[in-house]
Amino acid sequence: MITYDNIEVRFGDHIAIPDLNLEVSQGEFFTLLGPSGCGKTTALRTLAGFIDPSRGEILLEGKPVTRLPSEKRRVGMVFQNYALFPSMSVGENIAFGLRVRKTKGAEVSRLVAEIADQVELTPEQLEKNVSELSGGQQQRVAIARALVLKPRILLLDEPLSNLDAKLRVQLREQLKNLQRELGITTVYVTHDQEEALTMSDRIAVFNKGVVEQVGTPQEIYERSATEFVCTFIGAMNRLSPELLDELLRGGASSLGAGRPSYVRPERIGLRPPQFAPGAVRVEGIVCERAFHGVYSTYTIDTHGSRIRALVTESGVPALAEGSRAEVYVDPASVLQY
Amino acid sequence: MSNSSLRSMVRSPLVVVVTLVLLWFVATFLVFPNVNLLVGTFFPDGRFSGGAVEKLLSSERAMNSLWHSFLLAATLAVTVNVVGIFIVLVTEYFAIRGARLLWLGYATTLIYGGIVLAAGYNFIYGRYGFITNAVRNVFPDVDPNWFSGYFAVVVVMTFATTTNHMLFLGSSLAKIDYQTIEAARSMGASTVRILWRIVLPALRPMIFAVTVLTFLTGLGALTAPLVLGGQDFQTIAPIILTFSRSTGSRDLAALLAILLGVATIILLALMNRVEKSGVYFSVAKVATPLKKQPIRNPLANALVHVAAYALFVVYAAPVLLIVLFSFLESTAILTGTITWDAFTLDNYATVFGSTAVLRPFVVSVVYSALASLIAVVGLLFVARILQKHRNPLSTLIEYLLHIPWILPTILIALALLQTFDRPNALVGGNVLTGTTVLLLVAYVVVKIPFTLRLLKASFASVPESLEDAARILGAPALYTLRTVLFPLVVPTAAAITALNFNSLLDDYDAAVFLYHPLYQPLGIAIKASTEGENNLDSMSITFVYTVLLMIIMGLTMYLVYGRSRVSPSRRRRRRSGVSVPDRTAEVLVAADPQRPPVRSST
Repeated sequence: MITYDNIEVRFGDHIAIPDLNLEVSQGEFFTLLGPSGCGKTTALRTLAGFIDPSRGEILLEGKPVTRLPSEKRRVGMVFQNYALFPSMSVGENIAFGLRVRKTKGAEVSRLVAEIADQVELTPEQLEKNVSELSGGQQQRVAIARALVLKPRILLLDEPLSNLDAKLRVQLREQLKNLQRELGITTVYVTHDQEEALTMSDRIAVFNKGVVEQVGTPQEIYERSATEFVCTFIGAMNRLSPELLDELLRGGASSLGAGRPSYVRPERIGLRPPQFAPGAVRVEGIVCERAFHGVYSTYTIDTHGSRIRALVTESGVPALAEGSRAEVYVDPASVLQY
Repeated sequence: MSNSSLRSMVRSPLVVVVTLVLLWFVATFLVFPNVNLLVGTFFPDGRFSGGAVEKLLSSERAMNSLWHSFLLAATLAVTVNVVGIFIVLVTEYFAIRGARLLWLGYATTLIYGGIVLAAGYNFIYGRYGFITNAVRNVFPDVDPNWFSGYFAVVVVMTFATTTNHMLFLGSSLAKIDYQTIEAARSMGASTVRILWRIVLPALRPMIFAVTVLTFLTGLGALTAPLVLGGQDFQTIAPIILTFSRSTGSRDLAALLAILLGVATIILLALMNRVEKSGVYFSVAKVATPLKKQPIRNPLANALVHVAAYALFVVYAAPVLLIVLFSFLESTAILTGTITWDAFTLDNYATVFGSTAVLRPFVVSVVYSALASLIAVVGLLFVARILQKHRNPLSTLIEYLLHIPWILPTILIALALLQTFDRPNALVGGNVLTGTTVLLLVAYVVVKIPFTLRLLKASFASVPESLEDAARILGAPALYTLRTVLFPLVVPTAAAITALNFNSLLDDYDAAVFLYHPLYQPLGIAIKASTEGENNLDSMSITFVYTVLLMIIMGLTMYLVYGRSRVSPSRRRRRRSGVSVPDRTAEVLVAADPQRPPVRSST
């Protein structure tokens, strides 16, 4: 459906994207994830037609569109700040693209009402000025304005970043449902890993203009391909060489000595594990315990490492700060690079 | 990027046409006249000549005017700062009772300045002024010319030029992070210490900027020295005016104007340098709004209140007296005695009943409206082009358009006068001097930098994503300009038009060089009414003109700035969730701290 073929983007002497190759399938919810300045928005804006690549080709449905102006690519876009036209009402904003295409008045009204219904905007809200709506409602207007033209692809540039945490979670679900309902191919840009993990079919993790890994959320999280992906996605413990040596002495023969090694906090046990018979036990001292309700996090000093363990404690007495702890690490869950 | 921008400029026929017209205008009215003036002064016969400099050095009158100008500028740099900082602190920083009323009193300079103000003071305190006459009725030995010379000019200009402090220093004060004051207080700092160590240092760059502006205003002062300076205190600008009227001393006038221009350029360059020297206002990510500070010492509090209200009287009295005098027979003012019988509506009837009397007012309104509209409509396209296309050509054009910003109005007027007094190919072989067109050209020219800077700031304040959104929805560039961008910029454009209109309405500096004898503008008529006893009949008419001007200017100022002084809660409501807030007033105050939107010429 979408192909980035050897795309290079330059701003003067600075190369923002050196060589991007990506494939997005029909109907997929595809996320470009990465820290600020990693090139994800540049990649999205290149696809939209706002940035001309210095090399390479963008293909939509197999046809090159690199030289095609943005308005002819049939893509809809929701901007980070929504980019609603403040001098127009909600209805006028949604109808803008239709009017540009000289769609007949009655047809405009019908299409606007139809899409407004889909994104749960009331007829009264259509009459209002965009400034009178809440952030969440403004976001829906922006989506309706993009979708009313029936684009082939929907591009979303951090559309939830301006909202508060609770609303963000709520709209995340609504957005995903709407995408499923319409079956529209969606490219989503975010720096929020939780957002990416919960919403996407597949994720491309960007770092300094380069895609470090493409995969499903589970692949990205559990089998991070690079050290950057591993540390960028979720919480991670880096094991000290002493601790790694201790694990090797304890029988973790699958691990290699002297390599950067990581393990996620939820993969560390403080009791003998039931489902990981190969887990290696090491000794440590509890430095800190933080209670989070359903789970607790422990910070444990062990063999030159200060590692965090995330454990559920139903019916089990908690370990006190300063007490000795038995730490269980399953070598199969250690990621090495 | 530059090359592609140049290519995209050439691709649009509208941009090409606007650029060509712009290049002609810049070359004809901004570059050529000033170069012509320089050449005429230093290369009168095609070869370099220091004759003008020799003339200047041997002219005692000219040298005196130079000294007087620098003396006036230096004095004002001190007096205006003392008064200006005080009024900003009592209206914006300290908790003073009736601060809003005080603000209104101090803000009278927004609607009352230039020749009108000089004439007003003259009619009240001058040789034939009401106060002078009233005092002389009791003490006949009092010198009727007591209010003239250096003292009178300094007093008038001190109270007339605090406008920059009110607008720009007030705006800077509002940007100080209140948490820095709270932090200082929590560490035991006193009110005076906080003011001295926290608040004033944060305002230092802006104080420096307004000091330079004040210095420049003093250096180029025309109307106050002309009306109140008397024989003994004439400064550069009035002398330029006098010298330019005689063919034999025109080169001297040009040289003085060039010197004034050079001094202006040096000072503005210095100001730019200091402005770039760092962040002073707030390093906080979210600055806390300033809260007014109570003065805890009762004696100090009482003294500040007394001083604040005394200044209020000084500011408000001339305005109130002018309104009062506009309803009085001129004999009552001349004799210094007011009785009930002296009140009349005849002055207004004369102005509105006689075409000849109303004529200067109408002429000024037409000139100001035309020049403001031409400047804003023309520059609306220019600002957009310059904002969108960044390349060497657009940068050059932008620099050239700022020429009037660094040159005093009288230099621009003199250059136009001397350049177009003979047939010129750039204007189709026509002579423009002596026609009604040249003053209009001068008005448009002097308004270019202010208009351009604010329009560009206004376009820049529109998020780029709006344009991207329109583009991806299929809108062509002109359609986007018309339906998305213009509606957002129009409030600012309207405000600029209104402010330009205001500042030109009572112009004297350009008009005195370029006006057509049959179409005398208001500034010229008002100045004429201050000249000697024979013109005293026109004094009452001048009061009516002034009242009308104040009404128009007050209304404009309210529409432009008044709305920005709404309560913070109302402002919050208005802004909640708005993608692009109406930043008209903010843009007007913040975008151009170097040249005030209101007139500074006095």
